[in-house]
Amino acid sequence: MSTPDRVAPAVSVEHLTVRFDTRVALHDVSLEVRPGEFVALAGPNGSGKTSLLRVLLGFLPPDEGSASLFGTPVSDLSVRERARRVAWVPQEELVRDDIPIFEYVLYGRYSRLEPFGGESDEDRDIAMQVLTDVGLADRAEDGILSISGGERQRATLARALAQDSPILLLDEPTSHLDIGHQLDLLDRVRRLSHSRNVTVIAAMHDLNLAARYADRIFVLSRGRAYVDGPPTAVLSEDLLGRVWGVAADLRKDPRSGTPYLVPHHLIGQPRPSGIPPEWGPVHVVGGGGAASRYLRALTDQGFRLTTGALHLLDSDTEAAEALGIPAAVEVPFAPLGDEVRAAHRRLLAAARAIVVTPFLVGPSNVANLEDLAPFVRTTPTFLLTRPPGVAWDFTGGRATDLEGQLRREGGRTVPGLELLLGALGSVLETAPNRGSDSASTAAG
Amino acid sequence: MTEGVPGSAAGALSVPGTRSRRRALWGLLLGVALAFAILFSPIIGSVAFDPWLVLRIVFSGGGALFAPCTAGTVSCHIAKVIVWQERVPEVLLAVIAGAALGISGGTLQGIFRNPLADPYLLGISTGGTLGASLVFVYGIGETDANLVLPLFAFLGCTATGGVILLAARGRYGSVETLLLTGVALNALLSSILTIVLLYNPIASLQVDFWLLGGLGSATWQVDGVAFGVILAVGAILAIHGRELNLMQLGNDVAQSAGVDVRRVRERLLLLTALATGTAVAFTGIIGFVGLAAPHVVRRLSSSNYRTVLPGAAIAGAALLLCARDVALWWLPLTPLPIGIFTSAGGAPFFLYLLYRRRRATTMGGL
Repeated sequence: MSTPDRVAPAVSVEHLTVRFDTRVALHDVSLEVRPGEFVALAGPNGSGKTSLLRVLLGFLPPDEGSASLFGTPVSDLSVRERARRVAWVPQEELVRDDIPIFEYVLYGRYSRLEPFGGESDEDRDIAMQVLTDVGLADRAEDGILSISGGERQRATLARALAQDSPILLLDEPTSHLDIGHQLDLLDRVRRLSHSRNVTVIAAMHDLNLAARYADRIFVLSRGRAYVDGPPTAVLSEDLLGRVWGVAADLRKDPRSGTPYLVPHHLIGQPRPSGIPPEWGPVHVVGGGGAASRYLRALTDQGFRLTTGALHLLDSDTEAAEALGIPAAVEVPFAPLGDEVRAAHRRLLAAARAIVVTPFLVGPSNVANLEDLAPFVRTTPTFLLTRPPGVAWDFTGGRATDLEGQLRREGGRTVPGLELLLGALGSVLETAPNRGSDSASTAAG
Repeated sequence: MTEGVPGSAAGALSVPGTRSRRRALWGLLLGVALAFAILFSPIIGSVAFDPWLVLRIVFSGGGALFAPCTAGTVSCHIAKVIVWQERVPEVLLAVIAGAALGISGGTLQGIFRNPLADPYLLGISTGGTLGASLVFVYGIGETDANLVLPLFAFLGCTATGGVILLAARGRYGSVETLLLTGVALNALLSSILTIVLLYNPIASLQVDFWLLGGLGSATWQVDGVAFGVILAVGAILAIHGRELNLMQLGNDVAQSAGVDVRRVRERLLLLTALATGTAVAFTGIIGFVGLAAPHVVRRLSSSNYRTVLPGAAIAGAALLLCARDVALWWLPLTPLPIGIFTSAGGAPFFLYLLYRRRRATTMGGL
């Protein structure tokens, strides 16, 4: 399998297909892992991560294709030989007897013992060493049930490490741990993987943790290999959308430079209280972060939205971008320019209802209220109540006057999100359809 | 001639320090206590003899080593026959059968990861009862009942065990499949047994009495056969502590650590069927010993199966021997079935152990 000038891959999976009766768990999956690499297996529930691990452990026979460890097919290895090549850390180990942690870790030496021999001093030294590596040396004589869940998972890691196998498989090892213990465990796994040249394949739910610790992310989707590469190349908004069906923003951790995804909401879920598309668009006026909450909530309810006029770098602008909402946008800190104001007026004209969020008004965005005035008479307009005691008018009274005028000319005051949803529903159901799709073009 | 379970008292223990010393101490204490119990038990019996005379007979090997009866009186010779031909074999059979039940119970609790498992869990005993009932009903080998009855009971037990193993074999064979197969077979055998006994009221009474268990069949010959089987089977069972330890963590974990779970499970089940079958063949169905003995070890010493297995053999032997002694000491002239005493005496002690150190730590809280 391996050419003389190349080291055999630690794990080599070729065109692997596994079926459970008629359901295909894995379909034509190929994966090669070099010795010492840390590969994260990612994918939604049911994508085949665990099945792939179980094939490598020899628990599941491949229906087609092959899986090899250091060049030898898994199925050709005896249980003991397999254990000498692969160790396993499950999600959570069922420990029922309160045995001392040291004894528990020593169990891991099983595959290294002579058929009728006992544990030697060397086995004990190795057990003590791995306990030190996972930071439990001082608890060696304590009962396994007397330690916390995080420590127990570390003990399980030690038990697997005591096996001294060059490959370590982890099946969502941190899913029962709090965030601190998640980082701690994965830190240790990565350090040990580097210091002992152990190949690590870990099924991981959390893509951000995967990106932070793994050298490579292998994404499975419905039993097929979806994408494979270093975290920077794999993580994308598109990935989360297509594989997990979740809309997300891609960011970069300013400290480490690793990418991470901020999930927002599910995409494409049919809504039971589905709002017909002809009910839109609803225009949301905001700025300074006041609109984000309403943009998300209205999108969640199924409303088609537009928004404006906003400034770049504003969190409302980012929210609109993430949610795919057309917006009229000005450069940061400048007063709204004529072009942007024109675009904003087009959005207002296309809207079937207008929502004015309690945004802070200053010289740079007071034009939003000015531009609204002509539309109040023709379009149902809802002004959300401003929180009492919070200064919002930084235009020397001009904004207060404008809002008062909007109210006098037909703008309705609504005190909160729920009433807003109700009011929008009843208005849109009866209001005549403007039937214009100019919203998207206006945003340009 | 003590029960030969290897590595019992001072087996190699992993953690240096107080724990292992305490464990070794308990093993040693139990072993010494059992040895003393074996030596002194023949004093107790239906007929009261001078204790010194009994001890002299026991130590002389029934007169083979030196003459216990200096005066050569008739009563001394009667004592020699009763002690050496009746009591000593009876004591040894109690020890052998108790050890078999104890280690079988411990093994099955490990395989099924269930603290309530006992040697009769899979219905092996029903097969044995059916075998025994055939002897009573059809009067097979009445002239030589001492051998035929045990043989049929043994065959009934092991055949049942074998059928369960074969039936539960397969790609997805799990412990649950095994248990359910056992339950189904048990129901089937029970119904057959009921039909057979329904039309044979006398045999039914005999079976009822046999079911309660007893040491009455003990002879040197019986002991020899039982000892041979139990020593071999027990020795193999006792070296599977490491595998059972790993299997407690789940079969997948055990498999990933190098234990061929399916093969080990089948091997151990077959061995427990042999051990239990042997015990049932000669002593009938004695309850509670196989259930309680492993827990006694866990409470006193450790949950590590390398300790539990040999320890359960010793504890089982001690438990059954105590039951025999108490039964004869309390009611020397009415030989009550020993099974009554194992349960009546063992249960309170068992409860004491459970509540003395009530922590939700051992075997899922038990």
